[in-house]
Amino acid sequence: MALYILRRIALALPALFGLILVTFILSRVVPGDPAATLAGDAATPAQIADIRARYGLDKPLLEQAFVHVRQVLSGDLGNSVFSGRPVSEEILQRLPATLELTFVALFFATIIGVVLGLIAALDHNGPIDHLVRIVSVGGLAVASFWLAIMLQLQFSMEWDILPLRGRMDVALGLPPRITGFLLIDSLAAGRFDMFVDALRHLVLPAVTLALPGLATIARFTRSGVLEALQKDYVLYARAAGYGRVRLAAIYVLRNAVTVTVTQVGLLFGALISGAVAIEAVFDWPGLGTYAVQAILSADYKALLAVTLVVGVVYAVVNVLVDVAQALIDPRVAEQIS
Amino acid sequence: MGQLCPEAWLAREAMRVCSGARNKGLWTMMTRWMHSICLTLTLLAAPLDAQAQQRPLVWGDTLPATLDPHAIFDVPSQFTLLNVYDGLYRYQGNPPRLEPWLAESHSVSADGLTWDFTLRAGAKFHDGSEITAEDVAYSFRRLLTMRRAPSAAFTPVLTPERVTVTGPRMVRFVLSEPYAPFLAAMPLVAIVNPRVIAPHVVNNDWGAAWLAANSAGSGAYRINPATYQARVALDMERFPDFFQGWSGNARPIDSVRVRPVLETSTRVLALMRGEIDATDSYLPTDQVERVERNPRTRVARDESMRVFIIRMNNRRAPFDNRDARLCFAHAFNYEGFNNVILRGFVVRNAGPNPNNLWGNPEGLAPYTFDLAKAREHCDRARAAGADLSRPIEIHVQNELEQTVQAAQMFQADLRRVGLNLRIVPNTWPGITGATGRAETTPDMWIHWVSTYFVDPENWVGQMYDSQFHGTWKASSWYSNPEVDRLLRAARTNLVQAERQLLYAEATRLVVADSPDIWVYNTVNLRGLSRRVSGYSFSPVGSGGEIRLMSLEN
Repeated sequence: MALYILRRIALALPALFGLILVTFILSRVVPGDPAATLAGDAATPAQIADIRARYGLDKPLLEQAFVHVRQVLSGDLGNSVFSGRPVSEEILQRLPATLELTFVALFFATIIGVVLGLIAALDHNGPIDHLVRIVSVGGLAVASFWLAIMLQLQFSMEWDILPLRGRMDVALGLPPRITGFLLIDSLAAGRFDMFVDALRHLVLPAVTLALPGLATIARFTRSGVLEALQKDYVLYARAAGYGRVRLAAIYVLRNAVTVTVTQVGLLFGALISGAVAIEAVFDWPGLGTYAVQAILSADYKALLAVTLVVGVVYAVVNVLVDVAQALIDPRVAEQIS
Repeated sequence: MGQLCPEAWLAREAMRVCSGARNKGLWTMMTRWMHSICLTLTLLAAPLDAQAQQRPLVWGDTLPATLDPHAIFDVPSQFTLLNVYDGLYRYQGNPPRLEPWLAESHSVSADGLTWDFTLRAGAKFHDGSEITAEDVAYSFRRLLTMRRAPSAAFTPVLTPERVTVTGPRMVRFVLSEPYAPFLAAMPLVAIVNPRVIAPHVVNNDWGAAWLAANSAGSGAYRINPATYQARVALDMERFPDFFQGWSGNARPIDSVRVRPVLETSTRVLALMRGEIDATDSYLPTDQVERVERNPRTRVARDESMRVFIIRMNNRRAPFDNRDARLCFAHAFNYEGFNNVILRGFVVRNAGPNPNNLWGNPEGLAPYTFDLAKAREHCDRARAAGADLSRPIEIHVQNELEQTVQAAQMFQADLRRVGLNLRIVPNTWPGITGATGRAETTPDMWIHWVSTYFVDPENWVGQMYDSQFHGTWKASSWYSNPEVDRLLRAARTNLVQAERQLLYAEATRLVVADSPDIWVYNTVNLRGLSRRVSGYSFSPVGSGGEIRLMSLEN
């Protein structure tokens, strides 16, 4: 198993190196002059040239790329050309918000998606199956930003039961920062009121973010369960007198979720990138809004760092998914070993 | 819903649905699951005690990228400049009056080169130390050495060593040449506390990395650096020892939470729901009625000094031909755009200076929407060899809807005179990054020029004097020796009446040459909660001075 994990990690490293290089080149060939942005509205050409020289933006592209790769490999993501602060600090401030939202959305999507997929498969071609199919197609088809605004209008403006935006009511302040995850930090501070408020703020963005993922997981689980139900071991288990629910929950589901686990890994990356639009609508101060602001202000250092961080998170999750698959189905690890 | 509150109604309905579910087979699992959801919803729907407490002021306008007042100068940075820092002079009211602030008075030598400022006694920084002449000199030296945006108004005429202390409360500035807008630009410079910055200086950076997320000011509000998140959250508390005192405001606001809201629709909804107390001051005109209909919100409307401009690159054909420029100027439907699309929430502006600024010529007539005239000028331009057959590119700031709307309307009208306009989506940095050279400057682009300091130099002076070519403000690359002469004379002349005449004449010549298309002067529209009173607008800072405001509960 250890060899298997090392192999998966070794495969991720060249991909990350490629990501660093390609994103750097892309960021420097698109129009826009970070020096002009940094200099501000009232700057003179001399001031812009001065800043360009100070940040090495006047050097040849290859030299800039080399410096960038060397910096990143030494763990330095550089300073934001806009705020002047270390990008790693700014990202550390934002990342927990995105991860908290993504984890909660993924949790929703996985639990509800697997349950719905299982129920639909067990009621194959029945009314529940049809209903789940409609929900899953709808979940994939609906545009996230539209759904976000509809949920805001209904739950916040019309019924006034959930907050519209942000992570926490300003009147409550914030719990002392330990992890940056407000759910955890508020509990650690013993502030249940903050925990409930953070949870209330999470509901609408998490539901919006989870819906397409939920639909995907439900569809894959359904097809996995249907396939497993045709297997001989299921027939023998039935003959041995196992109940339908016990059979499905213990034996069928374990064999059926291998594909679902892969989907969960892919979804994690999709959710992080999908969070860009949802964070903007719900004013969620995460990595997505940071990336949008970096794009609008031509803050290429910030943009490169965001891409790299998302890439690393994606790579780590993929490795974890591979490990999870090997744990669920030992044949996977054996085949590769 | 009867007498029940929404939360209780939702909980009751949810429980009714749950208990009605059939309790057998697959339904057992579903019922248990539904029960869990219902219980969660009931818990989440419970109102919080905290909401009953008095809320701080929640300001929903944009935050600057850095809190260092010497590192950036744009519209958002004016918020920290006005609330956390003080300058020697400050603009107040609308029309803006330049008032002594940390300075008590000033004098200028007859040749316009030596400016002496006397500081008022007793003004203190947030750490309790008194503001001295040395602190003022340090602030200017820091600004001039860092050479970032706010220094642009000073660097052509002032060097760090020419800022000297001549007494405990006296600072002297010796300029290399007379510069009449020197006093008008004085509010750009925040006076910072060197004693607070000194321990944080790294590699001769003047403490810039530290000050990007901290403060060293004397303003009416103190920043809480522990809760600051760049462009996300800024918390401020009232500074009781603010040098101006608080006697002018019986109920000053103690706590301010700045929470910028990125999306316009969310910003408006958040205001209407009471989650924020103020939007930015550019509320979309189609949202004004909606905000005013809401019983707990209102819209503050104030004519500002912010001109909407469609630029033309005068160095590139066909815009190197005056008739071609006039053809475009007569093909824009000013009335349709201002009165229909923007619903009349703007004021038609005839030239580059805002209407409400001094230095405009008497009876300056704006260009009219007249397609017959446009065709006539186009024909003349063609006869003179101008190539009007190629597609003309107009760059819009994609995130600013008005620029897109103006370009789309212009495109339709230009098609009627046989011209092909191609709309290119872009961003502010994308465009301004390209305006450094005439060859890379777009054919046309759309933007506003806001109030950085109140002087025609901020508009006509820096937009049409050829010495500013290479800056985004002068990106039409207009060149007229007579205009250059008049603007330079106005810049070095300290007699206001004479400056007024020089700017008026320069403006008249510029408008006759039509290097750009000036569309309107902005009416700032800020959505406000009705619990906010005392809001006072000034074109510099767009009404963001919190010390003047009070909160009803």
